[in-house]
Amino acid sequence: MNKKTVTNMASQIQVKFITTQEQYAIPDFPLSIDSKIECKSLNIIVNKILNDKLSEDNQDALNVDFDFLVNGELLRTPLDVHLSQKNEPNEKVVVIEYMEATPSPEPMDCLIHDDWVSAIHFKKSWIITGCYDNSVHIWTSKGKHKIGISGHTGPVKAIKWISVSDDSATFVSGSQDQSIRVWDWDIKKGTTNCLQIGRGHERSVECLSVSPDLTRFATGGWDTMLKIWSSDPNFKPADVPVKKQKSEAKIMPPIMTLPGHKENISAVQFINNSDLLTSSWDHTIKHWDGEIGGIKTEIVGNKSFFNHDYSELNGSIITCSSDRHIRLYDLRSKEGSLVKGTYSSHKQWVTTVKWSKTDQYHFVSGGYDNQMKLWDSRSSKVPLFELTGHEDKVMCSDWTNPQLILSGGADNTVRIFKNKNVKSV
Amino acid sequence: MDDENISDDQSTEIMDVANTSDNQPTEKMDSTTVNEQMTVNNKDYKEYEDEMDTSDEEDIRNTVGNIPMNWYDEYSHIGYDWDGAKIVKPERGDQLDNFMEKMENPDFWRTVRDLQTGQDVVLSDKDVELIQRIESSKIPDSTYEEYGPWIEWFTSEVMDMPIRNGADHKRSFIASRSEASRVERYARLIRAGLLKTREQKRREREKKRQRSFFMMWSTDDAEDENMRRITDHIPAPKRNLPSHAESYNPPPEFLFNDREMRIWNKQEETPWKRKLHYVPQKYDSLRQVPAYPKFIKERFTRCLDLYLCPRARKMRLTIEPEDLLPKLPSPKDLQPFPTIQSLVYNGHTDMVRCISIDPLGQYLLSGSDDMTVKIWEISTARCMKTIPVGGIVRGVEWNPNKALSMIAVIADRKLLIINPGIGDHLVVSKTDSILSTPPIQTSIVSDKIKAIVQWDDPTTEEYENGIRIVLNHFKELKQVTWHGRGDYCATVMPDGANRSVLIHQMSTRRSQLPFAKSKGLVQSVLFHPIRPFLFVATQKNIRIYDLVKQELFKKLMSYAKWISSMAIHPGGDNLIVGTYDRKMLWFDLDLSTKPYKTLRLHSTAIRSVAFHKRYPLFASGSDDRALIVSHGMVYNDLLQNPLVVPLKMLKEHEDLADFGIFGVTFHPTEPWVFSCGADKTIRLFT
Repeated sequence: MNKKTVTNMASQIQVKFITTQEQYAIPDFPLSIDSKIECKSLNIIVNKILNDKLSEDNQDALNVDFDFLVNGELLRTPLDVHLSQKNEPNEKVVVIEYMEATPSPEPMDCLIHDDWVSAIHFKKSWIITGCYDNSVHIWTSKGKHKIGISGHTGPVKAIKWISVSDDSATFVSGSQDQSIRVWDWDIKKGTTNCLQIGRGHERSVECLSVSPDLTRFATGGWDTMLKIWSSDPNFKPADVPVKKQKSEAKIMPPIMTLPGHKENISAVQFINNSDLLTSSWDHTIKHWDGEIGGIKTEIVGNKSFFNHDYSELNGSIITCSSDRHIRLYDLRSKEGSLVKGTYSSHKQWVTTVKWSKTDQYHFVSGGYDNQMKLWDSRSSKVPLFELTGHEDKVMCSDWTNPQLILSGGADNTVRIFKNKNVKSV
Repeated sequence: MDDENISDDQSTEIMDVANTSDNQPTEKMDSTTVNEQMTVNNKDYKEYEDEMDTSDEEDIRNTVGNIPMNWYDEYSHIGYDWDGAKIVKPERGDQLDNFMEKMENPDFWRTVRDLQTGQDVVLSDKDVELIQRIESSKIPDSTYEEYGPWIEWFTSEVMDMPIRNGADHKRSFIASRSEASRVERYARLIRAGLLKTREQKRREREKKRQRSFFMMWSTDDAEDENMRRITDHIPAPKRNLPSHAESYNPPPEFLFNDREMRIWNKQEETPWKRKLHYVPQKYDSLRQVPAYPKFIKERFTRCLDLYLCPRARKMRLTIEPEDLLPKLPSPKDLQPFPTIQSLVYNGHTDMVRCISIDPLGQYLLSGSDDMTVKIWEISTARCMKTIPVGGIVRGVEWNPNKALSMIAVIADRKLLIINPGIGDHLVVSKTDSILSTPPIQTSIVSDKIKAIVQWDDPTTEEYENGIRIVLNHFKELKQVTWHGRGDYCATVMPDGANRSVLIHQMSTRRSQLPFAKSKGLVQSVLFHPIRPFLFVATQKNIRIYDLVKQELFKKLMSYAKWISSMAIHPGGDNLIVGTYDRKMLWFDLDLSTKPYKTLRLHSTAIRSVAFHKRYPLFASGSDDRALIVSHGMVYNDLLQNPLVVPLKMLKEHEDLADFGIFGVTFHPTEPWVFSCGADKTIRLFT
């Protein structure tokens, strides 16, 4: 009799539930539960306590899906496995934080293109995509094709909106034909006009980023140069004599050319109005000062970086490189290039990563295994959701609008997923 | 009584002292003062004679000699005189007489008794003085001049001139030979331990004093003292100890059952085959055990065994199988190297025979049996361009010069120089402009070369596809390779006999025939990355020609049956050769003309080998569909041999018609390897 209770006690564990979401608060007392408990059963327990409390207050019963955080990591395995992985003693009262689970994103639309989609950007209900058939397409967020623009002579590898207003918009595109084009789109008339052609890259342009104040943009490519350009259509460098040009579009030289990388620059991003981050195939991520033109810091990895994204919310960089892992670096840390976290679930190279603009823990990734994945940075082995749909390699993604997760791939489509978990920042 | 005794004693003492004091000076005297002493003695003697003359006492001499006189205490006499008559003890007065004598006789204080004779002797003044001098520790002879001038008999002054006129003898200058030999003898004895120094003796004494321990049973397992003289003595093997079966009362399982007994009996003819040489027997008690009948015979045979059978020590080598393997570092420590398939480049409709990567590492070039050449974007596996060439493509090679946008493609009998139009626009247009204006031929091309190769311009359709120059050869081409600068390229026609290797110069549009004689079926040619050397692989050997001196530089022996391909290390001193007989050979050109290492990793013919330009990696692809990546570290230090470690087998290609991998190449900057195969795909491993 006595023995039995002892063995029972060993598999029991003391837990305490806390939450930061007030509407789901439950009385704070420790519970003794089976240590092998999983997420599902915890959910039932919390819902039961919550509904008991609500019925006392004469409120309607709720059925909420919760996610559980133990020691700062999402619970995805039985509780005892989770604790033993963290080397936590079983004797302590385990504090479990719960919050409303992220609702699964729903596939919303599929925009069919003529060729591989290699670049995508969203701004104010307009989606712009760059294609391998040298064309640029503009779509509404509802999935209606507005206009297809050709002008480049090579696949468009990078595209970004500069400004969008009600009746006109400007955007910039970079292509393998080594040029950058700044376009003007008259929304009402439905006409586009190439304002400027940026020449200066000696090999294909691979990436592009517009500064937050929209005055400048930066490009990088296979010629290993980082170039910063002015997005002002009337920008004229003082020292270059203005030549008479045949075409309407003006040839524009860069403001600044920054050598430093040894190989292809695969991604560039403005992190504020002056600073830039570039990732390169030479295994480094460099932090540039865009005003002076120098390198501030450098993160050295051991694989070629394909893409990175910096989040202002948590100050971290997620990177993807020539393997199947996503790595998290902290830009603010002084310890150098220490990997803060590794997220492995993809089966092939990961080519694109994007942070959520509203949630400091969420990001999406897309890879050559035809998968888009939504991750919580507190769960390193298992992603929150797998956004299936692509039938070929995912090549680009966008999450500028918190509600829409966009991805383009080698199956000639752009897939739009609706994200329901939208917090206000 | 007591007083008398004391006085007696005193007087005797004084006498003794006087006697000795008489002799002492003479003894102490050096021969230096002999003369003086002589005179003194004479004087003494005369004085004494005078006294003797004046004395009225008889000359009483005792003849008993120097004996303790108390022996005569019991007698009335004290000895015998010269005539043998007893010397009667003189009459002694009583104490009163003594006292009277003392009071009356003024010489009483200097009267002593002569023990020999018992007579009273009055000491002379001279005697008294002598005694007094001795008592006060002075020189007894009062006439001796203590502070007289020192007479130097032997001078201490060193004379300037030698006394003798003759020169010193030679032996006074050289070490004494006899002394040396004596010293030598002592040293030899000390060394031999026959003579011991004081120090050694002291140590031995100390050792003896310490307690010593002895091994009580030391002789049991140690060698016999006497045996030590025999070098490498092998002791006789010990006889086995008796087992249970030999017991008089063995456990029942040792006793023979019927079957065992039958076997025993059957082996009567061949007793050496028996397991035991006796039948175990059981007795009730030890008393009943009979005498062992074979005892003497067995002892005798044992003795024969011991002295007739020579014993020899058997040297047995115990080598663990692991020790035979070379110590190689773990592949984990040799990262990075390709481990996993990352991308598949699908698009060709037939076997892909050859691949090449542009110098920057952005594009991949492949040639296939479907008579096309395709250019792929490496990072996305996107086919950027397809160029039909009208023939089975057996070789493609990107021009290593970054300032030229040029690829060489061999399709059947044609060598096509193609501008792919990919990459830097400026370079593309420059290359086009260079190729559009053929240089003026200054020298006349010989008919012999014209018969082998013709430089033609492409047709319009071909020009549209990027083909700029067509070189029509007279036989089927197998391989093309560029020189490091990108101006020269060499082609191989295995069937061309002595005209099988051709070198084409792009800038002058001329072809050269480097070899006049055929050395065999040429399989492959290769330019040295730094020096002006050309490697020519025939079926079995590799010849290295110096292109400047135009002579054979070296001949490498492969000992293989059929060479398929070769690749050179970017340093230029190491060469790997793949052969159709499954071997991969590593040649160190500085070391030897024979292979430094032979790697037998594949199960079938090796088709292609490749070196990485930056990382210490090389790879080989074979018909067994396996791509094997190995670590090949070449050290700058000339003393250290290259380190070769096989790292990883990548077997992703599908099997098609017994063909596996045709071509292997590395990415110029990343540790990535590409392979193309018969399954129409190109695969990237990272």
